[in-house]
Amino acid sequence: MKIDVKRLAKLAHLQISAEQEKVYAAQMQDILEMVEKLPQLESKESLVDPNNPMTLRKDIPENSYKRDVILQNAPQTQAGCIVVPKVMD
Amino acid sequence: MELFEHTAAQLSDMLAKKECSSEELTASVFDRIHSIEPEIGAYITLCEDLALKQAKDVDARRISGEELAPLAGIPIGVKDNICTKDILTTCASKMLYNFVPPYDATVIQKLRAQGVVISGKLNMDEFAMGSSCETSYFKKTRNPYNTAYVPGGSSGGSAAAVAAGEAVLSLGSDTGGSIRLPSSYCGVIGLKPTYGSVSRFGLVAFASSLDQIGPIGRSVSDVAMLYQAIYGYDPHDATSVAAKHESTTFHAGNNIKGKIIGIPKEYFMSGISTEVHDLVMKAAKVFEENGAILKEVSLPSTDYALSAYYIISSAEASSNLARFDGVKYGYRAEKFDNLIDMYERTRSQGFGDEVKRRILLGTFVLSSGYYDAYYKRAKLLQKQILQEFNDIFASCDLLLTPTGTDTAFRIGEKMGDPLKMYQNDICTVTVNIAGLPAISVPCGMAASNGMPVGMQLIAPKFEEQRLFDAAGCYEANIGNLCQIPMDIKKEVIS
Amino acid sequence: MSYEMVIGLEIHAELSTQSKIYCSCKNEFGFEVNTRCCPICTGMPGTLPTLNEKVVEYAVKMGCALGCKINQVSKQDRKNYFYPDLPKAYQISQYDIPLCENGHVDILVDGKEKRIGVTRIHIEEDAGKLLHGESFSGSLVDFNRCGVPLIEIVSEPDMRSPQEAKAYLETIRSILQYLDISDCKMQEGSIRCDVNVSVMKSGSNEFGTRCEMKNVNSFSGAVRAIEYEAKRQIAVLEAGGTIEQETRKWDDTKGESILLRSKEDAQDYRYFPEPDLSTIVLDDSYIEEIRSSIPELPNKKISRYIRDYGLSQIDATLLADDMQKALLFEHTIKENNCTPKSVCNWILGDISKYMNEKNCTISELGITAKNLSDLIALIENGTISNAVGKKVFDFMLETKKTPKSIVEEKGFVQISDENALAEIVKAVLANNQKSVDDYHNGKTNALGFLVGQCMKATKGQGNPAKMKELLLQALA
Repeated sequence: MKIDVKRLAKLAHLQISAEQEKVYAAQMQDILEMVEKLPQLESKESLVDPNNPMTLRKDIPENSYKRDVILQNAPQTQAGCIVVPKVMD
Repeated sequence: MELFEHTAAQLSDMLAKKECSSEELTASVFDRIHSIEPEIGAYITLCEDLALKQAKDVDARRISGEELAPLAGIPIGVKDNICTKDILTTCASKMLYNFVPPYDATVIQKLRAQGVVISGKLNMDEFAMGSSCETSYFKKTRNPYNTAYVPGGSSGGSAAAVAAGEAVLSLGSDTGGSIRLPSSYCGVIGLKPTYGSVSRFGLVAFASSLDQIGPIGRSVSDVAMLYQAIYGYDPHDATSVAAKHESTTFHAGNNIKGKIIGIPKEYFMSGISTEVHDLVMKAAKVFEENGAILKEVSLPSTDYALSAYYIISSAEASSNLARFDGVKYGYRAEKFDNLIDMYERTRSQGFGDEVKRRILLGTFVLSSGYYDAYYKRAKLLQKQILQEFNDIFASCDLLLTPTGTDTAFRIGEKMGDPLKMYQNDICTVTVNIAGLPAISVPCGMAASNGMPVGMQLIAPKFEEQRLFDAAGCYEANIGNLCQIPMDIKKEVIS
Repeated sequence: MSYEMVIGLEIHAELSTQSKIYCSCKNEFGFEVNTRCCPICTGMPGTLPTLNEKVVEYAVKMGCALGCKINQVSKQDRKNYFYPDLPKAYQISQYDIPLCENGHVDILVDGKEKRIGVTRIHIEEDAGKLLHGESFSGSLVDFNRCGVPLIEIVSEPDMRSPQEAKAYLETIRSILQYLDISDCKMQEGSIRCDVNVSVMKSGSNEFGTRCEMKNVNSFSGAVRAIEYEAKRQIAVLEAGGTIEQETRKWDDTKGESILLRSKEDAQDYRYFPEPDLSTIVLDDSYIEEIRSSIPELPNKKISRYIRDYGLSQIDATLLADDMQKALLFEHTIKENNCTPKSVCNWILGDISKYMNEKNCTISELGITAKNLSDLIALIENGTISNAVGKKVFDFMLETKKTPKSIVEEKGFVQISDENALAEIVKAVLANNQKSVDDYHNGKTNALGFLVGQCMKATKGQGNPAKMKELLLQALA
């Protein structure tokens, strides 16, 4: 199988040089060949495990964090917000 | 004997009897760190001032007559992917080179509540992706038995620090063998707990369905004590389980009479070095001499586990690591033209090669048209593997295998060949795939290179005590399993 | 060539829970930026989601109300995409097993009932907000809305006109309000919708290629967007072109949609089961308990009001849209001493007017069904006039006394005694000779004036019908 590393890189927002692209393609090919040996298991069923139910949280609000703490790691802030390059929605 | 050389169990006793103070102990550990850290490179961040302050606090509480937890006052190192409030948490990545979490992981909250002293944050493979600790952005950690060798990964710093006496105990995380493999390489004891038994809240996720935090120590009691301190249901982790063993006191047992130990043949076939094979089988004899019954068993799906592991873990990683985009925390590229450019440059510059490779692989197996053939197939295989283990455990109490296929290898030896690197995990990944508990215990030294070899014991879910029983029995027979190498071998790397 | 529209809607409704869907931050609108946040909803490394049980309950409630099959075993999935308002770079949603599926809702258009299929209802988290300033070269990110719980209600492509779409939207909104699970405030964005439109030749049953329109923020906007899109597609087809499947963005101020992305650029969301959450398992008794808590829904009420009480569709809808009004209407009728039509008129007339003036709800008004029915009965049996009735109503709200006691206390009883009224008529005619002349000269509206004068003379207590009758006799 041919892996379109460029397309994957675009999806994952990674920039990959042409050289790296070749290396990654070859390495991924190796890994996928290993994977190809997996037995063919097919199931129409969805991946859900009814024997593993989850405990849900009660709807009780708690105090939020202080804004400066929430933003303490942000690379750029202004007016109590994180700044990103202009986006048009 | 210096204070740092003692096990946690011994120190707990000495502290309780006021034979030493936590401050003295902490100072001793930091003296050791200062003398040896330049050779080993186990830590990314040292918290000396904070640790000494914590130690003094605990001492004061003890003097005032307060009843303290067994681990109170004992210095513990923490893998750098476990969030510590106001202490740098980098995941050994440029991406988080400056990240200071505003909260503590649940395990850290528990340890703090028990008066544990945190010595610092330990090196690892970047985002826990690796088996050698070589993918760290900051430094390479070296094996305390021979600094030309890797400590194993990804919790290489955690294992090396404990092995070298730079921490009495440590916390690592294990997604495919990341506690057990470095424990084996560094000659210490490491436990990968049952999935769901230790809260993952605050553990920076690599592969959410496989990750578990676990203890590393120099005695079975030490590991049991630290496990006792961190395990249990956490309402902040929806995958944590209100375990059946909630009231157990974990301890190093010594009786395995009549227990059936399965030896899965698939783990002793091609790819395992003869030295490792022989040392593990020698350990099996010790169990037999102590009344255990050895039984050859088969786990046919083992051959596929590694593939399933790489699909599942990479898929989850590709999603878990998408949040590192330069917006909210950590690294942001200096120059960019627009939002997409910022994303791409930040992520390309912030992540190392191994991380990018796994993100690409994970993106591929989830992408439209490939999901069924890869991700779903791997998940179905996971079910099948779990079923095989369940069947085996109907007639066995424990399983015994090697931890690694070989001893530690030399730094640089396997870089550049990911597939070869991935093969290191072949004995350990199945356990994560099945969500089982397993412990790596030193079982001798390889004659060829003088490096430690580890065996792996595997138990059914939530049967950690069985592991402590068997490992404890072995320890009682052999004596001290983890001698701190005081004379560190330095081979010139050619 | 004539065409028919095929319309499907995806409605996102924010749920009015106390806390967010995956963390305990307060679920509140309108606070200072980034002050309703914690490490979990801002996607900090190491954090994990925990699912709010009320979110599941509310979604199941809506599912029961729309006659859906409730999946007892369901799960959550990650939808992966990068955007600055999505801090984890994935949205936790539901992919192949929604909580509810295969339901329907009956809507009323031009007096005719139509059943619209509901494909599914699933739960998911809302994203944050991006703020743009003119003076500023970047965008600002506010995470307050991150993790606000949403249900997405997906309809079948069963609607054939903008009116049907509007009726569907209104019906869904009033059901959400009846169930008290969403604020449904359009201006706060607590209900939003995406519109899928295609056109096909009239009489055909083969759907055309559909386009999806995002960013539709009001019901009237939905109507405009559908009309615009259908017109656009028809123009393309008439010019011999073909419709490409694409996602478009509706700009309501400009009244047009623009291309957002074509099919080739379709995002690959790489859905997979959320590994941080285990299975949602609901047992029969839980679902039954929720099902039994569901009140009669507004669309059912409307049909019943028209059928059983002869109300017009407009009146029935106005009543049913507000559950408190509907309940007051029903309880008042149960008193069984007045006609439904009068009760409807009172509620939609004076009571609604009063509510608007005082900006209050019916329960705040403090009016009981018994008092209202007694008041209307007093009018209908001629004890008091309509005009006096309004006075009594005001007193009733003020004093909380019964209408009977007010009428007695104030001496409001209507004068229907012919002799007494004849005296008054005589006096009014004598004092208003000009109006009498006007009347005889053909200005018939002079009669109204004279009736008014008579009413004034009786302080509003004269029976107006009787009075008019006596006036006509006297003027003949």
